[in-house]
Amino acid sequence: MNLIRTELRKILQYLTFWVIMAIYVLLQVLLIYFSSNMMVGGQSLGKSLYDFPNLWMRFTYVAYFFNLLLGILVIVLITDEYSYRTLRQQVIDGRSRTEAVLAKFYVSLGLAALATVFLLVMGLFFGLIYSSDTSMGAILGKIDHLSYFFVQAVGYMCLAMFFAFLIRKSGLAIIAFLAWSKIVEPIIHYQIDDHIDRFMPMKVFGSLTPTPGQEIIDGLTSPMMALSPAWAVLPALFYIAVLVLASVLLVRLRDL
Amino acid sequence: MATVLYLNELSKKYGSLQAVDRLTLQVKAGSIYGLLGPNGSGKTTTLGMVLDVIRPSGGSFQWFGDSISSETKRRVGALLETPNFYPYLTARANLEVAADTKQADHRHINKMLDMVGLGTRSHTTFKGFSLGMKQRLALAAAMLNDPEVLVLDEPTNGLDPQGIAEVRDLITRIAAQGKTILLASHLLDEVEKVCTHVAVLQAGKLKANGPVGDILSTQDQLLISADELAPVLQLLERLPYIVKFAQEKNYVSLTLSEGYTSTDLNRDMFAQGIVLSQLLVRRKSLEAQFLEITQK
Repeated sequence: MNLIRTELRKILQYLTFWVIMAIYVLLQVLLIYFSSNMMVGGQSLGKSLYDFPNLWMRFTYVAYFFNLLLGILVIVLITDEYSYRTLRQQVIDGRSRTEAVLAKFYVSLGLAALATVFLLVMGLFFGLIYSSDTSMGAILGKIDHLSYFFVQAVGYMCLAMFFAFLIRKSGLAIIAFLAWSKIVEPIIHYQIDDHIDRFMPMKVFGSLTPTPGQEIIDGLTSPMMALSPAWAVLPALFYIAVLVLASVLLVRLRDL
Repeated sequence: MATVLYLNELSKKYGSLQAVDRLTLQVKAGSIYGLLGPNGSGKTTTLGMVLDVIRPSGGSFQWFGDSISSETKRRVGALLETPNFYPYLTARANLEVAADTKQADHRHINKMLDMVGLGTRSHTTFKGFSLGMKQRLALAAAMLNDPEVLVLDEPTNGLDPQGIAEVRDLITRIAAQGKTILLASHLLDEVEKVCTHVAVLQAGKLKANGPVGDILSTQDQLLISADELAPVLQLLERLPYIVKFAQEKNYVSLTLSEGYTSTDLNRDMFAQGIVLSQLLVRRKSLEAQFLEITQK
């Protein structure tokens, strides 16, 4: 509790935090609002986009892209502690190195929870206005996708946390984070067999929020070898644990 | 007296550079212990190791007879190199973060801000502070949970004369409360003014340590001359309190043992019928002493 209270003291008065959160909310609302005008196959997607229960799949898939922003926020928060030398001061003042990493992990959990609640509110808002079916059964139908999204957001932020503790400089850590998640690992995916690459971290995190309509595409062509969201949770949790552990080891073994 | 900090063959290697070389020291409770050495002599590295932010490559250390832990850390207040705070937080908010970490009573914050003279600036953000104010805020943070030991690394570095005076005054006041202080400095004058004990470091090696009076001798050097130097030299041979003397051109330079002054010498000379034509007291410069120690 003490750790979380201290983190809140630091974050709530940090302008950068509010700016990144504002961008996160604004961009996501805009994208979700205007995506109903998007043309797919010469046809407007229209209001059916907001139909329960598939709305939860679509919204979490949109939110998936914005995890990069949350990751960048986590990198900024951690590398700040290095540039202000406050991580060092906190270890001098009596905090253990493990606690210093755990504090940031808790921040990631908190941010993921906030992002999930935001998605829930947004889903209910758009759904209750536009969905053709607003029965309880429809609303709760695929709401479990919110929990997959939560795990995914935590996973992205833990990867960001690992790069931040590894590199300690904000610019380079952000580049490494983006490069790994969007370029390096996808390149590796092409090189190796689908049976194996579906277990790689970014692929696993991605599988938690599958592309809407993927099952239709799979029906027409040879199916993509990806884990179902429910199956991806287990390896995702495994990667989260590994990333947190690696961060703890990094901080414990190096000079501050 | 109890040993507060014990260093046993503590070493740190950066690649091929031996930053600290098998350093063995004891800091006793109640002393003001100066770690003296030029820049790059391993002072900050040594403090960094005992403060748990730099990993030693060899040797060990103990605080209060125990290995380092959150408990021992909370009995020590420390500032290493620079004042480390969040620039966008106010002085007060920064101390709140520090108080959380130290598990200190938040009611002490106002008292500490007043002690360092920042009571009226508690709502200014840290980035708006002058270097002197930042340094004083760091002292306030270090004192938050009323620690038994204060570790200060170059506390007056980069300050203007007024800032130096303020910080030194603060240290003396804190020391008067009976705290043990470990102070790293490259300023001889500072160590001589403030400390009771000193360890002299050079290139990571311990060159000398002990009470300040023994290491930085305050023995004065006397220059005397007379019309006839021969009887003077004969007498100097026999006087028991002459540590050493040497003839240089037309005068003699000499050092007296502790407790004797030029008056004693003058009286004895006169009693033997020698009238000195010149008697000059020259303080040995601290820099000269430092070079003497480090070149041993």
